[in-house]
Amino acid sequence: MAAYAPTYFEAGIRLSAQARERNEDLMAQQARRRRGVRTPEFCFVKHFDNSRLVKAPDSARARHMRWFSVAVTALLVLVMVYGLQHFYAIEGGYRVESEKQVRDQLREENRQLRLAEAQLTQPGRIDSMARQLGLSEPQPGQVVHPSAGPDAAAPAIAQAAPPAPAMQ
Amino acid sequence: MQAAVRANRNRTTTARSIPLPSARFWLVCLFFLLWALAIAARLFWLQVVRHQEFVERAQRQQQRTFEVAPRRGVLYDRNLRELAMTVQVDSIYASPTEIDDKQTAAHALAALVHTDPEDAQTTEEQIAGRLTSGHNFAWVARRVTPEVAASVKELIKSGTLKGIYLQKEFQRFYPDNEIAAQVLGYVGTDDNGLGGLEQKFEAQLHGVPGRMFTAMDARRKVMGSSEREPEPGQNLVLTIDENIQFLAERALDHAMQRTQAANGTVVVQDVHTGQILALAIRPTFNPNISRRTTPELLRNHAVSDVYEPGSTFKLVTYAAALEQHVASPDDMIDCQGGQITLAGRVIHDDKSDRGLGRVTVTQALARSSDVAAVKLALKVGQDGFYRYIRDFGFGARSGTELPGETRGLLRPVSRWGSSSIGSIAIGQEIAVTPLQLVSMVSTIANGGVYLPPHVLMPGQVEVTANSQVNAAQRAAVALQATPFKPGGDLPNPLPTGAHRVLSTLTAAQMRKMMESVVLYGTGKEAQLNGYSSGGKTGTAQKIDPATGLYSKTMHIASFAGIAPVNNPVIAVAVIIDSPKGDYYGASVSAPVFAEVAQQILEYLGVPHDIDVRAARAPSKGDAPVVEDDAHDRSGDIGALYAAANELPTDDPLHAGAGQSGITNPTPTQPAKQAANSIPDAKPKLYGSQAASNVPQPAPLHLQTKTPEQQTTAVMVVDPKTLRVPSLVGLPVRKVIEVTGAAGLEVQITGNGTVREQAPAPGTMVAPGTQIVVRCGHP
Repeated sequence: MAAYAPTYFEAGIRLSAQARERNEDLMAQQARRRRGVRTPEFCFVKHFDNSRLVKAPDSARARHMRWFSVAVTALLVLVMVYGLQHFYAIEGGYRVESEKQVRDQLREENRQLRLAEAQLTQPGRIDSMARQLGLSEPQPGQVVHPSAGPDAAAPAIAQAAPPAPAMQ
Repeated sequence: MQAAVRANRNRTTTARSIPLPSARFWLVCLFFLLWALAIAARLFWLQVVRHQEFVERAQRQQQRTFEVAPRRGVLYDRNLRELAMTVQVDSIYASPTEIDDKQTAAHALAALVHTDPEDAQTTEEQIAGRLTSGHNFAWVARRVTPEVAASVKELIKSGTLKGIYLQKEFQRFYPDNEIAAQVLGYVGTDDNGLGGLEQKFEAQLHGVPGRMFTAMDARRKVMGSSEREPEPGQNLVLTIDENIQFLAERALDHAMQRTQAANGTVVVQDVHTGQILALAIRPTFNPNISRRTTPELLRNHAVSDVYEPGSTFKLVTYAAALEQHVASPDDMIDCQGGQITLAGRVIHDDKSDRGLGRVTVTQALARSSDVAAVKLALKVGQDGFYRYIRDFGFGARSGTELPGETRGLLRPVSRWGSSSIGSIAIGQEIAVTPLQLVSMVSTIANGGVYLPPHVLMPGQVEVTANSQVNAAQRAAVALQATPFKPGGDLPNPLPTGAHRVLSTLTAAQMRKMMESVVLYGTGKEAQLNGYSSGGKTGTAQKIDPATGLYSKTMHIASFAGIAPVNNPVIAVAVIIDSPKGDYYGASVSAPVFAEVAQQILEYLGVPHDIDVRAARAPSKGDAPVVEDDAHDRSGDIGALYAAANELPTDDPLHAGAGQSGITNPTPTQPAKQAANSIPDAKPKLYGSQAASNVPQPAPLHLQTKTPEQQTTAVMVVDPKTLRVPSLVGLPVRKVIEVTGAAGLEVQITGNGTVREQAPAPGTMVAPGTQIVVRCGHP
């Protein structure tokens, strides 16, 4: 069983009756409260029918809104990217400074090591250590330089070696 | 109700019925106007007119500027081994206001930092005085050792010391201590060069200081800072070879120990470039301990002092004669029994050479005949002889980079006396520096071209002067190792200042004559083992500072030589001042040359040009050389004083001349007899001031091995080469493993184990060389 549904006009008649009844009730109450002075207060019912109004599609405005949205989004992204970059730049700056300090420290350590190497390899120190070990300077001709070739500018004695006899 | 509403609508608004008095209104307006104008005017006055003044005042009040010291440049030898470098070390300072018990703190600190008894700045009293002086900052000890810094840090960590802090500072180190000390110089507390190359190239080495600008508030808190990075100093590469320098200094130490001389100098030069390979001076100092340095120890005798060369100068006389074709090596010359009279002055040979008659020119030089030298100089003539002397570089500054160089004493011909040509021909009436002497010998050695000596590799200072070249390019230019390689040629084109003095033929003749001096003449002690050598000895009397006349007991023994003679590599000048006992150049300086040249040539790997003897004979000649060419001087000392007075004011020998930081506290005073004629003359001849603190070298324990013991050959292996391993008998798999581990490639033929290989085992080859092996089955 379907429920009873009042029509539009039936609903309007009923509302008017309700308003009239309410107005009378209010006027009676006001008369009682204000010693019989009637107050010109009325309730009216006005009916609006907007069913004929239809929102027409505005393609230009929609396009503008889309562009606006895109532009705002792009701007927001740019701002975010800039902020991110700035953040990373600051963070990178700290890291670079830290790395620079490490680099300087390593360079200084390198210098210290090179100084130590220079002090340890000084000829006088090696000479005294060699003497303590019982070594002495090599005698002339005792040092052989395998990579040293003959001196081209030096005079050489022409020699002719006899051929070796054939081995039987 | 409607009437009331209507009435209310018809009501209109009207103006205030009680207006302000117009005079009072305008007065208030005027007051505010003047007030605004006054403020505007004051602002204009403060912010526009006096803007700069207040900005400067604010900067003075708020900003602090700190100077950041630059790192000093490194001094390298030619092989890029550090001779002087700067590193950071700890300095200790205190904030006295934070220290409660200053005396206790001073006591604790002095116990740690006062390690050198001679250091007066770190005594307990000094530290306590600085802590109680009322300042907010006080140095405790500067540039302490790492051990001291570590112990102070421990105390700070433990809380024993409060208000003590450590600060990094630069310190100059000389790793080789005394090696080439006079060449390098040293730096002071403020890192400024105070001698040697450190002083000469202060502008390049020091660098540009940085600045840190710090803004501070009223409570002295740092609000922010900006800084300008300091520019480090330029690195300089010297021509010195550290090992050659050590060899020269060790040989000089031996000579100083043997002769107990006042001082000595050894200069080693590359004959083909003029570059100084070693410049050794004794006594010396340790630039790491600069407070123990005296001006006399700082003096570079090789360039700042002169001496009369004596017979070594005869090389110039003979070379001029040969070049002018007034004599040839085989010409006969009459030595007249060792005596000649020139303008009333008798010049005679040494006692050992008396009676020398007609000999060849070569023999005359070998016997160091004065008469022959005088005769040859007379044949050349005064003007020609003077021109040759100048061409050899005497009488002018060589232009070396060392500070305080003198030009020597040489008068122009117009001021020569009647016998001056004879005196100069035998090395008198002229004073030269050891650097000039070795350059002269190099000129003969390299074929007759004079090359100005240098201790700095070329192209560095010129690059520095060019502001368009940035620091990286400067560093790239400077940091190039240029090991000394024997057997080079003359530079083409010749460097600035170089010029030909002798023809190639004359230079060759002179070299052979110099060799004859060593083989048959006065320089037998200069013979080498396995190398030919040539040179000339010299013995000169010194001027006695007490009398101003030539001393009978004080001599300068010298030797200038080259080796090998056939293809010279090095030129060496040895000058020993005031040796005790034997004082002849032949017996004092020639052995030093032999020791230096022998070891340098062996170190350089120069091939032997004569047979190597099993052991060096004690005497090469028939009889030991006891005297060579010392001369009794006549009264020509005034000529030297006259030449000294003619020196420019900036010459280190000039009386009263500043010596750019190197001063001699007690200059030589000539005798009154000489000073009467030349009252202002105060020549400071070579080594006239004997240093009091001659370091005593450690006693040497040289092992004198017999020839039988010298059977072990020392192989000098090139670090870039590999020794080929023995692969014979190995299987193929093992061969691949061994060669791969050794960095060699292998080509295998056949199967089985290796029967033959090439190259042979033990051969030194370059990495990656392919070894060919032939395999087979047994």
